[in-house]
Amino acid sequence: MTQPQWQTPRAAIIWMQLSVAASLALHAGHLPAWLIAAALTVMAWQICVYRGVIAHPSTWHKVLLTSACLGGVLVTYDSLIGLEPMVAILISGFALKLLEIHRRRDALLLIYLAYFVVVVQCLFTQGITTAALMVASVCVITTALIAVYQQGERAHGWLALRKSTLMLAQAVPLMLVLFIIIPRLGPLWVVPQQASAASIGVSDSMTPGDFTDLSATPKVAFRVSFDGDMPAQASLYWRGLVLSKFDGRTWSQLGPWGYRTGNLLQWYGDRAEPWDSLAERRGQPLEYTVTLEPSNGSWLFALATPRPASPGIALTRDFRLYTRSPVVTEKQYRAQSWLDYKIEPERLPPWRRSIELRLPEGFNPKTREVAARWREETPDPEALVQRLLDYYRRDFVYTLKPPLLGKHTVDEFLWQTRRGFCEFFAGSFVFFMRAAGVPARVVVGYQGGERHPEGDYMLVHQYDAHAWAEVWLAGRGWVRVDPTAAVAPARIESSFADYFSAEEGFLDGSPLALERFRHIGWINSLRLQLDELEYAWAKWVLGYDSNQMTLLSRILGRVDPMRMGMLLLFAGSLALLPVGWMLLRSRQRPVRDDIDRCFLEFCRRMARLGLGRRIGEGPRDYAARIANQKPELAPEIWALVNLYERQRYATAGENNLALRQALRRIPRR
Amino acid sequence: MATAWRDTINRRYRQWVDWRLPASRHTRLNNRRLFVFPTRAGFAYIGLLVVLWLVATNYENNLVFAATALLGSLLVIAIFHTFLNLSGVTVEAGRSFPGFCGGHAEIEITLSQTSKRHRESISLAYASSDSVTVSLPGSERTSATLAVEATHRGWLDPGRVTIATVYPLGLIRAWTILDIKTSALVYPRPIRAEAQLQSVTAPGEDSRAAMPGREDFRSLDKYQRGEPLTHIAWKHFARERGLYTKHYSDPVDERVWLDWDAFPGLATEARLSALCEWLLRLQGERIEYGLRLPGVEITPAKGDSHRDRILKALALYDTPAVVRSQP
Repeated sequence: MTQPQWQTPRAAIIWMQLSVAASLALHAGHLPAWLIAAALTVMAWQICVYRGVIAHPSTWHKVLLTSACLGGVLVTYDSLIGLEPMVAILISGFALKLLEIHRRRDALLLIYLAYFVVVVQCLFTQGITTAALMVASVCVITTALIAVYQQGERAHGWLALRKSTLMLAQAVPLMLVLFIIIPRLGPLWVVPQQASAASIGVSDSMTPGDFTDLSATPKVAFRVSFDGDMPAQASLYWRGLVLSKFDGRTWSQLGPWGYRTGNLLQWYGDRAEPWDSLAERRGQPLEYTVTLEPSNGSWLFALATPRPASPGIALTRDFRLYTRSPVVTEKQYRAQSWLDYKIEPERLPPWRRSIELRLPEGFNPKTREVAARWREETPDPEALVQRLLDYYRRDFVYTLKPPLLGKHTVDEFLWQTRRGFCEFFAGSFVFFMRAAGVPARVVVGYQGGERHPEGDYMLVHQYDAHAWAEVWLAGRGWVRVDPTAAVAPARIESSFADYFSAEEGFLDGSPLALERFRHIGWINSLRLQLDELEYAWAKWVLGYDSNQMTLLSRILGRVDPMRMGMLLLFAGSLALLPVGWMLLRSRQRPVRDDIDRCFLEFCRRMARLGLGRRIGEGPRDYAARIANQKPELAPEIWALVNLYERQRYATAGENNLALRQALRRIPRR
Repeated sequence: MATAWRDTINRRYRQWVDWRLPASRHTRLNNRRLFVFPTRAGFAYIGLLVVLWLVATNYENNLVFAATALLGSLLVIAIFHTFLNLSGVTVEAGRSFPGFCGGHAEIEITLSQTSKRHRESISLAYASSDSVTVSLPGSERTSATLAVEATHRGWLDPGRVTIATVYPLGLIRAWTILDIKTSALVYPRPIRAEAQLQSVTAPGEDSRAAMPGREDFRSLDKYQRGEPLTHIAWKHFARERGLYTKHYSDPVDERVWLDWDAFPGLATEARLSALCEWLLRLQGERIEYGLRLPGVEITPAKGDSHRDRILKALALYDTPAVVRSQP
């Protein structure tokens, strides 16, 4: 058997072009512009080749194009290893493949690559809309695959589209079963992650002005479902990062050096590290699930003092939560938090103490001077904290539009402008405390959140980003102090959006954000409903792996491979049942009409008399034969057969009543 | 040893196939007669699924999991669709067209269905033929003609025909191998050889024997159904004398015997080949020819059916009795 020379069907060319276009569109967000332009050029080129306007590209053309693309990727990304460059190479390769479809195998390679490229898109974004676009692209690619196998001259693009849509729709029930049951093993080896793009939301450094920028974004940072009741708004301090280093302008994280006891990270499920006991946790913990939107950072948010409650999450030495790889797609984790806690209450080692007191030379001379004076007047650190907070309370303004600051940021803010946003208050407070000899550090994260009225969860937006301080007091350990709360208590007790909704500058960056219209009832409820949908998506689809075991053990009782296999078999066949029925149904015999039914019944009755109709015997011959054998029935038989022939073959519009009456006169046995 | 094993396995396989799919000129394809298995492209697709599953697992990405599950289910659905692209089709042996040894004989196979399903891209092939791809619209019939290599003279048994489809996704192949009880006649391979052919003119017989033809007018006879309309004597008809046809006769220059004994020294097959070649050469000339083989004699005549009769006699000379029923 030899295959005749293969000719790419026209419909297949069109659908393959559309497949390439769809995968380009899905990846457009992170691909360099030149690559998209190159791919579009190649597509146009292929159309020209197909229509015979220009010749097939020569080998030289292809080598040149391929190396140009590789070089371009290398220049753009500095490396060929990593998720983005790999996807870029894949896309350029498969767009170039359009130029050399000579055999069916080439077309199949292109189509399989298209499937892969389209699905890999989920590593970059995972929203509902992206998922819908992905399914649509899979449909286009499947259509291309069908078109490849259609016959040349009869190939019909729309027929292929109908078929692929039908098949995908039929595949959905089984897909759901597979998605629910297939076990998630967890990473088998380390894979290149998305190169850390600029972090979204709270970052690992704090400069005056950072948080004011965040206040302009209405995006959701994360959503939280509490197992029990939600705690009071004022206690919702979502701790993200601890910043102990100051260079005169920017607060940043300290390197993890200097600690001598045990590992710096205590992973979930591992033995407790020796330093774990430095935190005293009292009472019942809050338990909750956080669904974090991509932040591109590996820090997680939790209420103090936390302990991780899902795999892959660690507790850091400064009692925050941490994950190994940056959060580039939605991430779901569970945590426990003890709101009643003490961290390192007994003793701060001298080297730690000196770190938490360190200040750069040559900045904010006035603050240093005042701090030293106040310390002498008020030697008790707790009283000193109160005194400074009272000072803030007197005539400071909490505003989204603070004046710009020069070199001595703290001096200018504390003694001149006195208008600022949370990072101004936190930064100046910690600086003052350190200058006065009280160990202090900046903590950044989010404060508060919006309770969803129906969804039973809490939304934390980017504009809820917040900075506050922690001071170390002997016997009490690290104590949270929020200078912003002293200036604007309502900001902490209600919510940020309520506090600022009237002020200019709130959500400046997004004039059309639904959050801006919170005061209009129906828009607000629409926004909350949309958010509920998005949350359900994030929780049940994107974060399904963390719910899988709970769900499966609820169905199975006990989860073991045997039961999982049985469930897969049972649910799988159940899912295929409607499809099988739908497809096999049309195999039934064609329905006979009333006229045929009457005649067949007549034949059956005659057969009972031992006069079955012979194969190929016409009604007239048959009637003649019976009439010969059973003359007593002849009139009835002839009446019936004549009627049957007239009904069947004449154009007569007579009804079938006469025929049925004629049948009634034939004896049943 | 290895070949012996292979032979045994092949024999067992053929026995199993003969038991599983008995020969029949008329077969309706259903689940008992169809096999289903992934194609090479299907295994490549499974490889793609594995890669996607690894991506989903390593990146802990549930959306990639979902996409992998969707593509995996698509493969399962493709089994149904591919199977149903063939199931319910009736396969019938059609006519067969003879060929010369060394060339091709043709076998016609008809596919039909009573259901309204549109069947796309069904390929038919014999082991020794190119494959032919047809589609079958709902409630219709379509036929494919397969050119089978004519390897030996006589009745050619083409073996089992493979009827397969990979439509719609090319991932799954549904197929059957049917013995549709058909065979084709293979004439000897025409090979040129020198011969002294006997020209015969029986005594008292005009060499220009009367043969029905179109050249010279011979007689006017009453019209018989099926005679060409161009030969009707329309003038007679116009005069209301009834329908008559004019009969002509072709002039025949010579009558020739294609004689077995005209090729002394040649082996049987070579003789038949030479006779066949001579026959083809005489064909189209104004010569009447007859055939003399040991035990066979066909009197000289002209025309296509006469030629076919002689070719058949040449094809079947000294071959085993007809093994298969010929349509």
